[in-house]
Amino acid sequence: MYDTFHLPRFGRLLKKTLLERPMQIFGFTGAILLLLFIYYAIYHLPLHQWIEVQKAAFLIGLTGGGMFLASFMFGYFSTNAQGASYLTLPASHFEKWLCVVLITGIFYPAVFLLFFRLVDVSFVVWFHDHLDTSMPNYKKIYDTVGVFPFDGDKARDVYCYFANYAGAMLVGSLYFNKVTFIKVALVVGGVFLSLYLVNLLIAKIVMHDVQNAFPFESVDISVIKFSAGLQPISSVDRSIDLPSNTGKAIDILTRYFLPGALWIISYVRLREKEF
Amino acid sequence: MIRVQNLSFGYKKGTLLYENLDLSLDPGNICGLLGKNGAGKSTFLKTLVGLLFPQSGSISINGFEPRKRQPSFLETIYFIPEEVTVPSLTIGRYLNLFASFYPQFDENLFYNCLKVLEVKPEGKLRTLSFGQQKKFAIAFGLACNTTVLLLDEPTNGMDIPSKTQFRKLISSVFSKDRLLLISTHQVRDLDNLIDQIVIVDNGRLLLNTSMAEVTEKLCFKSLYHLPEERVDDVLYSEESLKGVSVVMRNLENQDSKVNLEHLFNAVTAQPALTKEIFAN
Repeated sequence: MYDTFHLPRFGRLLKKTLLERPMQIFGFTGAILLLLFIYYAIYHLPLHQWIEVQKAAFLIGLTGGGMFLASFMFGYFSTNAQGASYLTLPASHFEKWLCVVLITGIFYPAVFLLFFRLVDVSFVVWFHDHLDTSMPNYKKIYDTVGVFPFDGDKARDVYCYFANYAGAMLVGSLYFNKVTFIKVALVVGGVFLSLYLVNLLIAKIVMHDVQNAFPFESVDISVIKFSAGLQPISSVDRSIDLPSNTGKAIDILTRYFLPGALWIISYVRLREKEF
Repeated sequence: MIRVQNLSFGYKKGTLLYENLDLSLDPGNICGLLGKNGAGKSTFLKTLVGLLFPQSGSISINGFEPRKRQPSFLETIYFIPEEVTVPSLTIGRYLNLFASFYPQFDENLFYNCLKVLEVKPEGKLRTLSFGQQKKFAIAFGLACNTTVLLLDEPTNGMDIPSKTQFRKLISSVFSKDRLLLISTHQVRDLDNLIDQIVIVDNGRLLLNTSMAEVTEKLCFKSLYHLPEERVDDVLYSEESLKGVSVVMRNLENQDSKVNLEHLFNAVTAQPALTKEIFAN
C-alpha cells in the first residue's frame, strides 16, 4: 500500500505540484477567469446576445482552459533534468496521476464553475435591474435572459468536450515531450478530419446526392423532385439522423467510455513512460 | 547492492547499446563509470534509476526493480543528470517542497555542502549560473542521504576550483553504507576520488574492479624508452617529455600512482589483454 498510495506523501506531492509552478497553474487559471469577465463585459452589455455569449464563454473557459491546463500538467518532459526529476521523485505513479487528475478534472472545473456562476449571475442581475420596466415587451425581454443552467443540454455537451479534450491532452503530453498543445491539437484535428472524410466517402458510396455526412450524427442529402417526364423540377435538402438507439450508444461512448479510457490511458502511459 | 544481469538495451530495435552486460557494485564505494562520448554512460545510469527500461536482463538495486519506480525504491536512490534545470523557486522554498520526499534528508549537510561549493543560499535558483545550479543540485543530492547516488558528468560546467571542491566534498560526505556512481568522460576529474572503476565501451563492460586491484595488477610509470623484452606486457604507451609513459603488467609488485586517463586508454585499446590480466 505504501508504494501505491500514502496520504501524507500525496499531500506533499499535491503541495509541490501546485507551488512548484505557481505562475503556470494559478496564473493561468486567474487569466482564464479574467478573460471570462472581460468577455462577458464586452459582449453582453452592448449586444445582449446572452445565450450565445454564455454558451461560448462556458465552452471556451471550461474546455479550452481545461485543455491548456491538461497540456502542461505532465509538462515535465521538455528538458532532461525536469523529466528525470519528476519520474524519480519518490511518489507512486498513482499519486502523480491522481494529483494531475484532481487539479485538471476537479479543482479547475470547480473554480471555473464557481466563478462563471458568479459572473453570470452578476451580469444577469445587472441586466434585469437596468431594463426599462415601461417597455411594452419588458416581461418577454426579462424572461429571455437567465442564468446559464449547469444541468442543461448545452452544459452537458461542454462537460463532454472538456472530459474528452482534456483527457486527450493528458495522454498526448505523455507521448509528445515538447509543444504538446499544438501537437495534440493537430492529432485530434487529423482524427476528426479523417473520420469525416471516411464517413463522407462511405455515405457517397451507399447513397446518391449526398451533400454532407457528419460522423455519428447525420447525413445531408438532396431530394430531387421529378416531373412526369422525369425532368428535375426542384431540389430540397433533407437530413437523415442517426437511429435513436445508435445515437444513445454513441452518446454513452463519447460521454463516458472515451473520456474514461483517455484518463485511464494517461495513468498507464505514465507508468510506462521512459525518458 | 546493484546487481545487473544480462542487461541488453537499445533505443532502436535491432541496435543494442548494451548487450548481455553483467555488473555488480557494492556499498562503501565511490565508483567511476568511464566511457567515451556516446558510449552509453548516461543511458546506463538512466536504466539504473528506472528512467529507461532494459530490453532484456534484470537490474536489482537494494532488492528493487528500478523500472517499477516504487516510492520505497526512489527514496533510496538519487540521480543528478548532466543537464540541470531548476524551478523558479528560492532555495528555501525548494527545500520545503522537495526535501520531505527523502526521509534521510539532512538540512545541515545541505547548507554545509552549499557553503563548501560556494553557492549563496539567497535569491531564486533560476538566477544562478549554470555551474552554480549544478552545484546546488549536487548539494541537494548529497543531502538526500540516499544509499545510492548517481551523478552524470557532475563536473561539466564547473571551473577548476569548483572541481577540486567537488572532489573534497564527495570524499567528506561519503560513508560506508552508500554507493556513489559517477559517470564522466573527463577522467582526470575523478583522480584520487574513486575506489572502484567501471569502464564501458561499445556496449561492453571492459573493466569493473577496485583501484587497489588496478595498482596490484598494473603499473603506471615513465620510462626513457619502451622495454623491448616486455613489450607484450605493455597495455598502453604514450610519448612524453620525459620519455614514454606506460601502463603495463605489474609483475614486480611495484607501487605506482594510477593515471586514470592512461588506464582508460589502455583498457579501451587492449580489452582482451585487460580481461586476461584482471581475470587472474
